Amino acid sequence: MKVFFTLIFILLSSATFAKEQAEEIFAQLTPSLYQIKLIDKASGEKSSIGSGFQISSDGIIATNYHVISSYARHPEKYRIEYLDHQGNMAEVELVSVDVINDLALVKRQVDLKMPYFKLSDKKPIKGEKLFALGNPHDLGMIVVPGTYNGLKKESFNERIHFTGSINSGMSGGPVVNTNENVVGINVATSGNQIGFLVPHDKLVLLFNDYKKQPPNNIKQQMLTQLMASQDKLMTTLLNSTWQSKELASKAIIPIIEVPFIRCWGDSNADKKDALILRAIANCSLNENTYLSSHFFTGTVELDFSYMQAKDLSDNKFYHLYQQQISLASAGNRAGKDDVSEYQCHHDLVRPSSTENTEQSINNKSIFCTRAYKDFPKLFDVLYLGATIDKNQQALVSHFTLAGVNQENAMAFTKKFMEAVSWK
Amino acid sequence: MEVTKSELSAPKVSSTEMTNSCDDFTAETGEIIIEEITRNHKLIHRHRLNKNEVSIGRGYQNDIILADPHICPQHLSLKYRQDKWQLIDNNSVNGTRLENSKSVNQGTNQQVINDGDVIVVGKSQLRVVFNSHKVAKTIAFSPFESLIDIIRHPIAVFFSIALFMLIAGNISYLNQPTEINISQLFVSALKMTLVFSIWPASVALVSHLTKNDPRILAQLGISFSFFILLWLSDLLEEIIAFNTVGNSILGSTIGLLPIGLAFSLFWLNSYIGFHVSTKRRMIVAISITTLLFGGSYLIQYSKKPEFNPRPQYNAIIMAPSFLVAPSSNVETFIDSSNALFEQANKAAQKN
Repeated sequence: MKVFFTLIFILLSSATFAKEQAEEIFAQLTPSLYQIKLIDKASGEKSSIGSGFQISSDGIIATNYHVISSYARHPEKYRIEYLDHQGNMAEVELVSVDVINDLALVKRQVDLKMPYFKLSDKKPIKGEKLFALGNPHDLGMIVVPGTYNGLKKESFNERIHFTGSINSGMSGGPVVNTNENVVGINVATSGNQIGFLVPHDKLVLLFNDYKKQPPNNIKQQMLTQLMASQDKLMTTLLNSTWQSKELASKAIIPIIEVPFIRCWGDSNADKKDALILRAIANCSLNENTYLSSHFFTGTVELDFSYMQAKDLSDNKFYHLYQQQISLASAGNRAGKDDVSEYQCHHDLVRPSSTENTEQSINNKSIFCTRAYKDFPKLFDVLYLGATIDKNQQALVSHFTLAGVNQENAMAFTKKFMEAVSWK
Repeated sequence: MEVTKSELSAPKVSSTEMTNSCDDFTAETGEIIIEEITRNHKLIHRHRLNKNEVSIGRGYQNDIILADPHICPQHLSLKYRQDKWQLIDNNSVNGTRLENSKSVNQGTNQQVINDGDVIVVGKSQLRVVFNSHKVAKTIAFSPFESLIDIIRHPIAVFFSIALFMLIAGNISYLNQPTEINISQLFVSALKMTLVFSIWPASVALVSHLTKNDPRILAQLGISFSFFILLWLSDLLEEIIAFNTVGNSILGSTIGLLPIGLAFSLFWLNSYIGFHVSTKRRMIVAISITTLLFGGSYLIQYSKKPEFNPRPQYNAIIMAPSFLVAPSSNVETFIDSSNALFEQANKAAQKN
């Protein structure tokens, strides 16, 4: 009983402590917190909202790239405005972005030196208490206490796993530790108290680069970042081990051994009335790069499916098999203003690496690519290989890559084509 | 004087003598051929008369009896005088009109009839021709005739329809993603056959309605033979698309085959069903073909979205027994795929 009381007391006291701390933090930091609004020039109404926080005395405000993405893509259509805690509104200027880490810097006019958020110089420790600030759903500024739970596992671009509610509208708001130093920036949520933050060091890097040399063209800056990011991703993928794995004990497919590519499998072995036995494996990169609400890039998808006819004529099997491969689509979302239409090419291909062996495979191979309109030398590519050498069995190997350059795309295609074979 | 003479001699000459006799006789005796025709100048009935006077009307005493209620009982008569036939209207209620000539007013004068003239009485039409009337050249049997003779044979028709049903059944078998039994296949093949027989049936119906011989068996035989040929051309096109690389010339040339086949089908339909000039038959066949293929192209074109986010590629695959082309290696494929990037760049710059 005594132990129980002690526990309750400790819990109560820590709750009171946290509450007091949250109040204090909110009161102190609120003058440097803003709501960031994107105003559609023609209608004069806001088209998207997010949060932001000042990080320098001369008016630099940090927010998420996705909050101001419409402006970055179409500066002629929108303007960016801030709303401070006293209800003052004014236009701000976009000065720098980090499209990969979803960060942006905007600048407001200041007459006097202003208070601002200090960026932490060390990483938080697991279990550390943090406070997320922001303006969810335009309901007013709030503070949300939560816990630092390390970096998100298996991610290519680092994200902090934050246990606490992050809601839309809080995007771009700061997350501070008990010393009121910024350790992360609200960016995403997957519901049920699981929130994701951009680590503060990405912001430090962006801010330092800005101080050194402000970019003179945001689009050019984005292109440079996208190029560097795809190069980093593709180099990692191409230099990792491509482990040969069996699919349905009949085919050999490559599994790229990097933690951020995750695979799932399924089959219809339980369906007695299915005419074709099907086993599928799907591997993909679980993140993408947001460019605008209709344009994403940076995706990687690999798909394999093995099919075996059950009591079917060869012609019918191939007829149904053709229906399976005729509807491949892009792995990422992109519209008319973002990309060209796909250009495709097909051929019958027998990789010479497998020739004259039992693994020999003969494919109908299809390769398609589309170019980015605003980011020259970046492409989305799609490959589809369908075997045509067995009467009653088929293997479909398929991948899509988004936002890669020609060299990386072709190196990946070559490696992929040579890694798929019969067992 | 001459007139009286010929009038007198006329009853003496029998029709058999007439046909055997020479030109100088016709000068003496009137021989006239009167054709009852429709308003579209289609022949209903033809009369050959060896008389110097021909009476036409609704009454039963007439040489030519017409049932048209707008015609008088003794409407008009035609008289042979001075080597010429003349038209005499007997004060008819609605008058008589010689086409390409002035109207004959009731009871006034007599008009000379020339070869090929059309007499309009009431709502009926009569065409007058003489035995010297020139007829068109004899049309020799075209090589199609013997082909059509084979195709329209009941056994041949039965076989072409049976083969068509077999193909239709096979198509529905291939397209069915779940299990299917024979009776279901038979029903769907039968349905397909019935739908496809609408075409030859309607052509036969139209030719019947236009006073031509319907020749339903020939129409069925020729249509189903061509439906089979069209399916074969589809199969050929598919095999070529499967075995060729990129957008080959052969692939696009073979795409013209169904157009040619459809044109031939329409031409033969018209050849069997209608007696029209070669030029007209050609125009009709070309028009239907253009309407069919041009129309479907237009529909496809209008449905094409302004921007297609999905890749459009040749996904045709067939069982290994249809594979004849050799495969290339990965390097060749990569090389040719490299060219696509330039194409994509151009497409991106276009708008």
